Amino acid sequence: MAIRELKVCLLGDTGVGKSSIVCRFVQDHFDHNISPTIGASFLTKTVPCGNELHKFLIWDTAGQERFHSLAPMYYRGSAAAVIVYDITKLDSFQTLKKWVKELKEHGPEDIVVAIAGNKNDLGDIREVPMKEAKEFAESIAAIFIETSARNAVNVEELFQKISKQIPPLQNAEVESNDSFKLTRQPNPTTRRCC
Amino acid sequence: MDSSTPSESPFCGLTNRSSSFFKLVDTFALEIGELKKEMVQTAPALDKDPVELEGLQGGAYLQPPHCSGLVGEWDSGYDSLRRRMSVLDRLTETHQVWLLLAVSEDEASSILLKQPPGVFLVRKSAVLQKKVLSVRLDEDHSESPISHFNIRESQYAFSIEGSGISFADLFHLVAFYCVSRDILPFTLKLPEAISSAKTQKELEEVAQLGAGFWDSALCSRRRASPAVCRRLSRTLGPQQAKRTGDVEESRQRHLGVHSDSAPPTLQPHTPPPSSFQDSSRSIAAPLCFVNPLFLQTHPRSPQVHRPPQSEPEKAADSEQLSSEPDVDQTKLNCKARPSPPPRPPPPRSMPSRRPAPPPPGPPAPISRTKSMPVPVAPRQQTSTRRPAPAPPTVGTRTSSPTKSTTSPNRPPPRPKQPDLEALRCHIALDDETIARALSRANLPSCQPAPATEEPSQNLTESLPESGERGRQRLSDMSISTSSSDSLEYSRSPGFSLDLAPSPSQHPAEDSSEDDEDVEEDDEDYGVGMEADLESRLRPILKARRRRVGVSLGGGSFVLPRSLKGRFSKVGGMFSSLMTPEKRAVKRIAELSRDKSSYFGSLVQNYISFVQENRSCHTSGMDFLQTVRQFMTQMKAYLRQSSELDPPLESLIPEDQIDRVLEKAMHKCVLKPLKSDIEVILHDFQVNSGALQQLRENLALAKNKKPQELGVDGAVPPDSMAIEKIRQKFLNMRKMYSPDQKVSLLLRVCKLIYTIMQDNSGRMYGADDFLPMLTYVVAQCDMPQLDTEVQYMMELLDPTLLQGEGGYYLTSAYGAMALIKNFQEEQAAQILSSEARNTLHQWHRRRTAQRSVPSVDDFQNFLRVALQEVGSGCTAKTLQVQPYSTAEEVCSLCAFKFKVPDPENYALFLITEDMSQQLAPDTHPQQIKAELHSRPLAQVFHFVYRKVDNLNLCSQADISNGNCLQVE
Repeated sequence: MAIRELKVCLLGDTGVGKSSIVCRFVQDHFDHNISPTIGASFLTKTVPCGNELHKFLIWDTAGQERFHSLAPMYYRGSAAAVIVYDITKLDSFQTLKKWVKELKEHGPEDIVVAIAGNKNDLGDIREVPMKEAKEFAESIAAIFIETSARNAVNVEELFQKISKQIPPLQNAEVESNDSFKLTRQPNPTTRRCC
Repeated sequence: MDSSTPSESPFCGLTNRSSSFFKLVDTFALEIGELKKEMVQTAPALDKDPVELEGLQGGAYLQPPHCSGLVGEWDSGYDSLRRRMSVLDRLTETHQVWLLLAVSEDEASSILLKQPPGVFLVRKSAVLQKKVLSVRLDEDHSESPISHFNIRESQYAFSIEGSGISFADLFHLVAFYCVSRDILPFTLKLPEAISSAKTQKELEEVAQLGAGFWDSALCSRRRASPAVCRRLSRTLGPQQAKRTGDVEESRQRHLGVHSDSAPPTLQPHTPPPSSFQDSSRSIAAPLCFVNPLFLQTHPRSPQVHRPPQSEPEKAADSEQLSSEPDVDQTKLNCKARPSPPPRPPPPRSMPSRRPAPPPPGPPAPISRTKSMPVPVAPRQQTSTRRPAPAPPTVGTRTSSPTKSTTSPNRPPPRPKQPDLEALRCHIALDDETIARALSRANLPSCQPAPATEEPSQNLTESLPESGERGRQRLSDMSISTSSSDSLEYSRSPGFSLDLAPSPSQHPAEDSSEDDEDVEEDDEDYGVGMEADLESRLRPILKARRRRVGVSLGGGSFVLPRSLKGRFSKVGGMFSSLMTPEKRAVKRIAELSRDKSSYFGSLVQNYISFVQENRSCHTSGMDFLQTVRQFMTQMKAYLRQSSELDPPLESLIPEDQIDRVLEKAMHKCVLKPLKSDIEVILHDFQVNSGALQQLRENLALAKNKKPQELGVDGAVPPDSMAIEKIRQKFLNMRKMYSPDQKVSLLLRVCKLIYTIMQDNSGRMYGADDFLPMLTYVVAQCDMPQLDTEVQYMMELLDPTLLQGEGGYYLTSAYGAMALIKNFQEEQAAQILSSEARNTLHQWHRRRTAQRSVPSVDDFQNFLRVALQEVGSGCTAKTLQVQPYSTAEEVCSLCAFKFKVPDPENYALFLITEDMSQQLAPDTHPQQIKAELHSRPLAQVFHFVYRKVDNLNLCSQADISNGNCLQVE
């Protein structure tokens, strides 16, 4: 199987749990082949997808405002961007909208955008209604999912969805096209926890 | 050295210092060879089938015309080396004939159908995207007369699918199968014209035909092989004789080990843990690697005297690696035949001892004789395993038509150095050998004995001399060194990491100094066989010293000797695995310095262009991007060009080629330009005021507390740690390779992370890391870091920019950018636009790379000399587009050379025998390209000089009608 390296950029306010999601994703699996890395801001994980292996190269970004201007350096060349917000913080959802706008304007053309509402284990203090977020995601044709890095909910699914949305290589064998149907419209959240 | 003993009688050897020295060396070589063999051999010693031997002889080894009986036959040994050509040499020399990657299966079949069984070629299957060995089978094979074997390439190893034997490169693979069939129905055969060629020249002629050889008369012509070997009757001094005997015995032992059928052979006597095997299988990795070293050092088997021992028919050929028996032979020769004089011309008497057929097999002497093809004429010393670097000695080779990429550094006095090296190797191995021998009780230590007069004495005395024992020992050893054994070791992570890492394997972990060290080591690689041997061994020694030193070094007995031997073997395996890359890099670097090659002239022109035109770029980034682009283009060129001989694909597995080329580019472009690049970048920094601004902001940022820079929670490094990081950054500055710089940067980041986590046990993401990095960079207070980051970012192989190196590099860039703009109120805004600009540039660069560069891209430089009547010439490298006309070049010259009266000047093309003025509408770059593409490289110059009147057109021009008048 061919390995495709996919750069994935993590965006979102500081404190929303960007790196927690990735750590969960990367470490949760019993995949011990993860090469030891320097630190948690850059992690990789390989997952099978159809006839390919997708190796996610996950670039974390600093969420503080002062680093905002550096973001283009991180998301350039990304196959996908995961924008994370905290469902208990309305502000973080507003920031998310700014990121979406920036990606539309300056991001790679065919970037797959995924919106992750993290901390859904804290549903009782939720500030961002899921419906609103979901509708927003649909309006921009983005993947939407609510996750809980703490409880390992939907983390895996988040990346699976991304994987499926990555267009196959153009010259890929025809057979690989059969293995999965690409749907450009965002998959509705299938599971809800809590 | 060659001259030292040419006319001496055999006896002289004893007294003559140098000859005894050679003997010593020979012995060492022999021993080394034996060790190597052992590693390779897995099966019990079997005798070789005589028939096979014949084949081997023909192809594998051509003996020089020396007669055994002649006293004078051998000189210092170096000389004789040159005269012999091993199979490997032949293959290397004539790869144009059999390495036809572009040929289709049908074409291959039609070529081979006309050939006798065993003749082969290597092509590349478009469908499989693999190289394929196509072999002509016996007539009676009912099926297809041609068989195809896929060649598997894994990291640094070439092997035939289904076989467990791997080789460092294609040449070794083919050479091996010329002497041992392994999984093939029979051994490969070289076309007669190649196997019987006596001289380098003949081979060159064959090679020149390329694929056309198969249709040529040369191919169809058969030569009778008159090889009649004379029995060796040597007159040896008593002592020598005795020693020789030892040597021979030991050789014989070796002969015993052969495996025709690979798989079986590979099986260790003692089956390794099954789990191990399984794992190796499942990975589909080769069971063992044939260390090329072994091949080379095959001891030739003197066994002439002995009839091959018969054992199962299939002799284990494994050793056969002997493709390069030369070395051994030489060495052996040194010992055995001390007689110097001129070699008798053509008698092809092969001394039985000659490196016996390369194959280790115990060829029967007799059969050998028969099959012996005509002795080869001068042979090159270099029996280096790979054709690669031109053998030092071989002047001829280097100058061969193909521009030799190869001009390896020729070690001037080759004999001496190599010898010393060999000596060292020997010393290093000696312990093991002896210990082994002792532990096995029976061993006659042939090895140490023969050569060295003093050291060997003890050994000799203490060890039995009987040949029989020697044999036994051999087989014992072969058992112990089964390939799987070594595999096992190599696979165990602990081992590979701690005990025998080859330097190249852990570049990132070595200190920068080490890295440089390693670099320098490269310089010696591939020079000659001795150097080769040495270089291959050196890593072992090094590794041992560095990491295993405590337990293994110093002859301590902490570890069982046998274990120690294994370690070193494994180490040797690693080192041999890394050599192909190093050799390729070295070769390319050499080619880049050879101005007579097209590639070399491009590189050299570019380098001088950069050096002379420091101010023609608009920014540092712009400048670096042109450098990067140049490297990328040159890589593309090298992949397509035929200047690299042999082709890279035959040396390096395909998936590694790009990486190797990248490394080579760093060496041939960045290394010479490093200081210039630094100056240029520094100038830009100063001129734009950026440096001043950076200094001020750094000073400001340095006084900030971590919290003020955004650090929240994590504990920052203390001053000692900061100092340590500073040192790493300073080391980084010394390197020219962006890869190595990045690996140091990663170490710094790792250190920062470690400190952060140590103090709190939690995982930190970018939210915490980037502010901390910014703080650290501010504390280091190194304005130079800015250009360092730029250097890495722009020059690093773009494919690496997405990985971890790219990530932390981006972070470092971000940290620098924040600091640079620390004062700015609108830092964010400015940064943003800057970053976007950067982004745009990168995008451009990435896209630029996708389109395959055309040759035109490389031709943007033209070196033009200004010839003044009174003074000499001054030359400048100018940037000239491929389609620029001579007229445009003239005006450029007028400007660059500050010529006051350009109307009186014109551009001339000067070659050895003529000088012609270029018409204004001609295209100098195309002329240059055309000249470069001619088969015979001609020296030519573009000269910008005065045209006083018609007379200026040199007479040659006029007579040739070549004078193209301007205006």
